[in-house]
Amino acid sequence: MSTYDELKVRAAKAWQPFEEPQRPLIKVGVTTCSRVVGALETLAAVRAGLAARGLEADVMVTGCWGLCYAEPVVEVRLPGRPGVLYGNLTADKVAALIEGTLVAGGAVPELALAVLADAPLDGVPPLGSLEFFAGQERRLMANCGVIDPEEIDHYIARGGYEGLAKALAMTDEQVIAEVLESGLWGRGGAAFPTGRKWDFLRTAPVTPKYMICNADEGDPGSFVNRNLMESDPHLVIEGMAIGGYATGAAYGYIYIRDEYPLPVERMEKAIRQAREQGILGENVLGSGFGFDLEVVRGAGSYVCGEETGLIASIEGSRGMPKIRPPFPAQAGVFGKPSNVNNVESYANAPLILRNGAAWYTSVGSEKHKGTKMFSLSGQVRRVGIREAPLGTPMSEVVMGAGGGPPEGRALKAVQPGGPLSGIVPASDVGIALEPEPFRERGMGLGSGGLVVMDDSNCIVDLCIYFEWFAEDESCGRCTTCFAGTRRLLEILRRIAAGRGRSSDPEIMRLLADTMRYANCFHAQAAPTAVMSMFRFFEEELNEHLYHKRCPAKVCRGLVRYEVVHHSDRLPEAEAICPTAAVVRDNGHYRIDQAKCIKCDACREQAPYAIAVLDAFGL
Amino acid sequence: MTKITAGTPHSSRYTAVDTPPDETELAGQVRELTAGLSSDSADLLTAFHRIQHEYGYVPEEAIPVLAGQFRTTPSMLYGALDFYSEIRTSPPAKTTVEWCSGPACLLKGSTNIRRALESVLGCAMNENTSDRALGLRLVQCDGTCHLAPLLRLEGRYLGPLSVSDAIKLARGLKGEEPAAPEAEAEG
Repeated sequence: MSTYDELKVRAAKAWQPFEEPQRPLIKVGVTTCSRVVGALETLAAVRAGLAARGLEADVMVTGCWGLCYAEPVVEVRLPGRPGVLYGNLTADKVAALIEGTLVAGGAVPELALAVLADAPLDGVPPLGSLEFFAGQERRLMANCGVIDPEEIDHYIARGGYEGLAKALAMTDEQVIAEVLESGLWGRGGAAFPTGRKWDFLRTAPVTPKYMICNADEGDPGSFVNRNLMESDPHLVIEGMAIGGYATGAAYGYIYIRDEYPLPVERMEKAIRQAREQGILGENVLGSGFGFDLEVVRGAGSYVCGEETGLIASIEGSRGMPKIRPPFPAQAGVFGKPSNVNNVESYANAPLILRNGAAWYTSVGSEKHKGTKMFSLSGQVRRVGIREAPLGTPMSEVVMGAGGGPPEGRALKAVQPGGPLSGIVPASDVGIALEPEPFRERGMGLGSGGLVVMDDSNCIVDLCIYFEWFAEDESCGRCTTCFAGTRRLLEILRRIAAGRGRSSDPEIMRLLADTMRYANCFHAQAAPTAVMSMFRFFEEELNEHLYHKRCPAKVCRGLVRYEVVHHSDRLPEAEAICPTAAVVRDNGHYRIDQAKCIKCDACREQAPYAIAVLDAFGL
Repeated sequence: MTKITAGTPHSSRYTAVDTPPDETELAGQVRELTAGLSSDSADLLTAFHRIQHEYGYVPEEAIPVLAGQFRTTPSMLYGALDFYSEIRTSPPAKTTVEWCSGPACLLKGSTNIRRALESVLGCAMNENTSDRALGLRLVQCDGTCHLAPLLRLEGRYLGPLSVSDAIKLARGLKGEEPAAPEAEAEG
């Protein structure tokens, strides 16, 4: 038996009690998104509740199903029955859950989300009927929420490291050929064919070579990499090991942003476990190939998500991107040939090697095969993470799974993948989630962080945010970038304050054009949001520019707060005002405009009495 | 590819091996804390994190020590230190309110929350109050967007928050009682 077969046998034994539980099994999802809403308290309450009742059951910590809107998520699996997912299971509901399931022997429909089966059971609908789940293709996320991310045996028992074992029996060129045939391209936003990038590294004549994982995930609103790292870290490790074998790299770095402490912890633990099992180290699975990994914890910098910035950061300096060529495959970290790939790009490799390129290409669109993970946030009813085949219409994710904007509001726009990706108008929400439709509109698909806007939001305000972000994160090396983003920001802020000039659009276009010559993608793409605004939201911009009006009443310089009716909530409004601007004269309330900071607190307290009006209108 | 490090020992005041006689106690502690870390591997960020974990920030005295250890100049080291937004170069306040600057929080009203907090707490973003009791710090989106708009306080996530919630929270931190609404006189 090869080393891998031995591992598989042992892992299957360890996983068996959870594959077909002979006694009740309770899984509690403990991840970044669930911890912040009390998942650890839920876990403690489950353990305490079982002990108090003297009940015998297995309790497992798992990762995230992607149902952030329903966290904490708990699965209860009674012997001989499919598991049932329960949502919003805070500690105070644990007693009722235990009583209704383990004690009474059934389910608790009022607390349940779905049953993990094709048909309803005990009054609980099947998983496929959950709006968030409809049409999902869980390949990358197959283990997320199902296994304990801190147990390598769970991963191996469910097919983990089989891809690596297969790869080790092939030549490096054969492995790359398989990856090329799958059509996999970089999931971090650049969309460069992964097989080709690996091949550049394979043919580099210098050693040592390095595989680097870009786990910086700096795009605000994007949290798909986070999910994979904390729910299935071994998927990433296996992908990097396969990449190392295919390219001749013997060492790898996983650069995880500082804002992700749990992924750092789980990834480090997974690496230790992989070493213990002979999957990382001098003799990977007994093949003679040596490969090891190290986690590098970032310290807060968006451009460290740019591959040459990331490399500079690992080397111990400011994360300032460099002009390419030379590309990392020629001279990367420490001057040696390297590849920087996204977490999700690596995560696809084990699936491709395990199941073959033919399986991989069985889903997707005509031009683009496979799946992509998307995170959904902003003005949607259901925030979460979803895996969809490439080419899926964005409306399926935003309106279908996400449920669209809250009651009474209309969809306005969607930011598809990070601040540099652009803004898609509501009329285009049916756009296919693949690169070409976005490029045609002067935008990019990006890293998959969908942020949804509705009609209570302002496009100019959003552009100010994107340009502020671009400017703040500019590394400072080239004037084109730090000055270009700064000028764009100044002009936008002036417009939002009611001091726009008719020459502003021309100057902004000139800036955008000039920024194409910046040192790296950051400034080249920074004006994308503003260009989207010109192309799709010109009317709204013109309202600000020529009529000093913000239709959504968001831009603070273009609104004023006034008392328009009397109500008995006005004393609350007076009390909450941080600057004592809600003033009472002779029993009549008014707002002292000199003091008002337009924070909206008074209107929250007295929405009938206080209104937001145009500052420059009647 | 140009190497950033200066290379030769003469460019830093002392080598990593020799401890100068006039080194402060703090600098000595930093040296101990980061012993074994070097520029040959990805250790600079590790050094920053270790020091910040110990002191809450990276003190100025650490700069020449690290420069020697990582074989670079103090100005290059300072450039790296200043570059990373999660690393502090001055002591934090006793209690820091972290404000999320992300787009989901923005769309759901975080700007109003920021404005109100700056007013009630009495300090600008990324600054402390003059008595260093309270501070306000801008943080980046970490994907906990189901709680947008949110604040973080001593590791706890608070959200979704209304502006009124944020004001009451800030007043509580300042030790102020929320002003009771006056009884209506007439009309």
